[in-house]
Amino acid sequence: MSRAAGGGSWFPWLLLTPGMVFLLFFLVAPGVLLMALSLRDVDGMLMLLPSYSLAHYASAFASAGYWVALGTTLWVAVLTALLCLLLAWPAAWLLVTTRSRAWRTVMYVILISPLLTSVVIRSFAWIVLLAQNGLVNDVLRKLGVIDAPLGLLWNMKAVIVAYVQVMLPFAVLPLATSLESIPPALPRASLSLGAGARHTFFHVLLPLTIPGMLSGAIIVFALAAGSYVTPLLIGGRLQPLLPINIYQQALQIANLPLAAALSLTLLVVTAAIAGLMSRWQKQWERRVHGH
Amino acid sequence: MATDHHDTNTSGAGGAWRWAGVAAGGLVYLFLLLPVVVIFLSAFSPQAYPQFPPASFSLRWFRAFLDNSAWLRALQVSAWLLLIVTPLTTVLGTTAAYALARLDFRGRELLLSFVLSPLIIPQVVLGIALLYVLTAAGLAGSMAGLAIGHTLVALPYVVRTVSVSLSGMDRRLESASQNLGASQAYTFTHVTLPLIRPGIVAGAVFAAVTSFGEVSVSLFLTAPGTVTMPVRIFTYIDQTFDPVVNAVSAAFIVLAVVALVIIERTVGLTKAI
Amino acid sequence: MSDIDIRAVAHRFGALQALDGVELAIGQGEFFSLLGPSGCGKTTLLNIIAGFIAPDSGSIAIGGRDITRLAPNQRDIGMVFQNYALFPHLTVFDNVAYGLRVRKHKPELVRQRVGEMLALVRLSELAQRMPHQLSGGQQQRVAIARALAIRPQVLLLDEPLSNLDAKLRKDMQAELRRLQRDVGITTVMVTHDQEEALSLSDRIGILGGGRLQQVGTPLALYRQPANRFVGEFVGQANLIAARPAGDGVFEAQSHRIAADAPLRLRADGGGGGDGGNADDGAASLFLLRPERIRLGPPDDGVSLVNAVRGTVREVSYAGAGLHLVVRLEGAGELIVAAPESLFARLPEPGLAVHLAWAPHDLVVLAAERSTAPGQPA
Repeated sequence: MSRAAGGGSWFPWLLLTPGMVFLLFFLVAPGVLLMALSLRDVDGMLMLLPSYSLAHYASAFASAGYWVALGTTLWVAVLTALLCLLLAWPAAWLLVTTRSRAWRTVMYVILISPLLTSVVIRSFAWIVLLAQNGLVNDVLRKLGVIDAPLGLLWNMKAVIVAYVQVMLPFAVLPLATSLESIPPALPRASLSLGAGARHTFFHVLLPLTIPGMLSGAIIVFALAAGSYVTPLLIGGRLQPLLPINIYQQALQIANLPLAAALSLTLLVVTAAIAGLMSRWQKQWERRVHGH
Repeated sequence: MATDHHDTNTSGAGGAWRWAGVAAGGLVYLFLLLPVVVIFLSAFSPQAYPQFPPASFSLRWFRAFLDNSAWLRALQVSAWLLLIVTPLTTVLGTTAAYALARLDFRGRELLLSFVLSPLIIPQVVLGIALLYVLTAAGLAGSMAGLAIGHTLVALPYVVRTVSVSLSGMDRRLESASQNLGASQAYTFTHVTLPLIRPGIVAGAVFAAVTSFGEVSVSLFLTAPGTVTMPVRIFTYIDQTFDPVVNAVSAAFIVLAVVALVIIERTVGLTKAI
Repeated sequence: MSDIDIRAVAHRFGALQALDGVELAIGQGEFFSLLGPSGCGKTTLLNIIAGFIAPDSGSIAIGGRDITRLAPNQRDIGMVFQNYALFPHLTVFDNVAYGLRVRKHKPELVRQRVGEMLALVRLSELAQRMPHQLSGGQQQRVAIARALAIRPQVLLLDEPLSNLDAKLRKDMQAELRRLQRDVGITTVMVTHDQEEALSLSDRIGILGGGRLQQVGTPLALYRQPANRFVGEFVGQANLIAARPAGDGVFEAQSHRIAADAPLRLRADGGGGGDGGNADDGAASLFLLRPERIRLGPPDDGVSLVNAVRGTVREVSYAGAGLHLVVRLEGAGELIVAAPESLFARLPEPGLAVHLAWAPHDLVVLAAERSTAPGQPA
């Protein structure tokens, strides 16, 4: 991209300013202040003291509870990402290979309309489904499979199922894009060389969709690691998840500095893992495409 | 090319695999659709809980919504926010996207990632950070605070859709305009903007829908006087069970589909995400 | 016994009949080209042989074995695709080894065979490169090595050279021919480039509108085209429709020596042949190759038949030869091809010339093969 001669590019710079100013005030500054906040001491009444220390980090890392919460959060996020990838394959494959334009539009609507609905509603739907007098229990009882209603809510399994359903579109779309960019001659070449469908899938299709899968995994992982609305509604307050702890510390216990410390910890760990996956993606692209 | 992938009438046993794949894919889409089905069943069910198969059809929960002043107030708050946030985000996002597409400097990719970062930063972190800053500024719990939060979350969507439109646009049209003597500003308003209108419209729709449905950051920024619809739904589910929520949810979903249609007509679904 | 036996293959895509009753027998070790314009069905036929499309009717047999119902991966064929279709995530070595590893060959055998193949296509030093680091010609050679590594019974090539520039294309054509002769494998190539087909093939099958218009050696196709379609597709042609005027002489209406004198033709064998209708007075279609027309007055000094005068309208110079478009005095035009060495100076438009040719230079064309035999061309 070459710069225009004469006059320079002052105009785009001018246009960049409002956005940058906004982000400076409301993304950068809060971030910096949050870091500062996490280092402020509090007294017994949780009022801010003028002194700074690492007390909050120390108490967090010394407490088994927070380690468990962090570990569970990451584990749940990774599991969600893996499950999403697994389920994304049939969905993406169907999306890419369907001949009918009408059916493809239907699939897109099913994939994208949840993204435009509030997460609280998507979570609520699961409550309606899984509650004691919800739909699943209703159907199972009518079918005679069970006598008493099952307690399907208020556990981590329900949270993960809800996570997968909420975040699945974020895994399907990049995978579908990746799949579509594979030249159809490649699987044909594989067949012509004697490979069956399974061999072709594992040795040609799967490797070539690694960038799409990693994109999806990064998004799902980041979303799952930071979610608190869904697990609160479906899993209950007692789930050992760090975002829930942060929410409780900030809005219910009002220990903002501790909440800040926990947030930054979560942010750093999430960013590190996401960054690692992103690096793998770039390495793969460089190996296969040269850039 | 998409059509080539559809030419799979090979000889031999490929057919069995294909049917298995279609079945698996279909099941996944049904799984995705499940909550929507449930909500619609509930919203129109005369009982407080959904029936399957549905026994009868009723609009009582929609009526109950309109009768309840608390819900109507929440609707008002959400609507006002939407009217403020959408134009604000659209302007900020469009200008930023344009600038990033036209400038060429070393940290450009990094800056673009930075602008898109609210998508990936855990919203609980965004919520806390904003809460702290707004409290210090005395804006905690105000409409202004909420507007700022919504704009922050919606901004990446606008930047993304406008960037897609920009990359599909023929830049020579801008050169031609300047060649004919127009200033950069004039070119921008009279040539570029009309050409990227689909991306702007899609971005605006995303911003509106995102603001209307935003809850994760809003929970940190609301006060009793500024309760939005999603926040109210959250507290309601948390504390009681009001079937009106089903009706509200159904309405949300319809809105989402309408928004989708608009996005598809302007930018095209495949490119907007 | 023929190596590839194609019997009554037909296939349609929606309303389009892509292939209509194709019958073909290709011999062991033969280099056979399927030639034709776009949309003539040649790639469809190749894909049917490969197994990517199941034909609506008909059968394919390779080496006497009926493979019509077999999946593509069970057919023991090697295929080279138009855009090479190298696996971008595998090295050159791994690409060539792919088919061998599918068959679970031992690593030593794999290494040996891959080495052989890479040496055959002269790319041994590039074994550890990735496809994106190779040029088009190199990728093509890897694709060939990969297809041949599994020692298939048949090699299929789908417009293998169409993405290469002209010079590279010529080099690769020679390479391809050498390889095929060395390995001795039955080869079927699809191309729309008639020069390529003519120079590489033992035999050519010309497809038009889903039907085989003619099958024969390059020489036979060029000198004895079966119908107008083949005559026009392979090489350039002057087509003259003429009615019998008695005594073995035919008179053309579209080409005239003078306003009141039609061009008169006499061909070997009296003309008519199996072309045109059996009725007397009906027109036959004659084909005259541009290079068969001589410039200069007729031998017998009397221009009664197979000779005409005209004016040069256009000249195109192509290095080794010239093409002249000559307008006849009466009506019509003829294209003449002359060697470059014939001229001290290039002829200019407006130059008056005598044209003449021998009776054996005229070829009578049959009608195109259409669904009802005997229909006029």
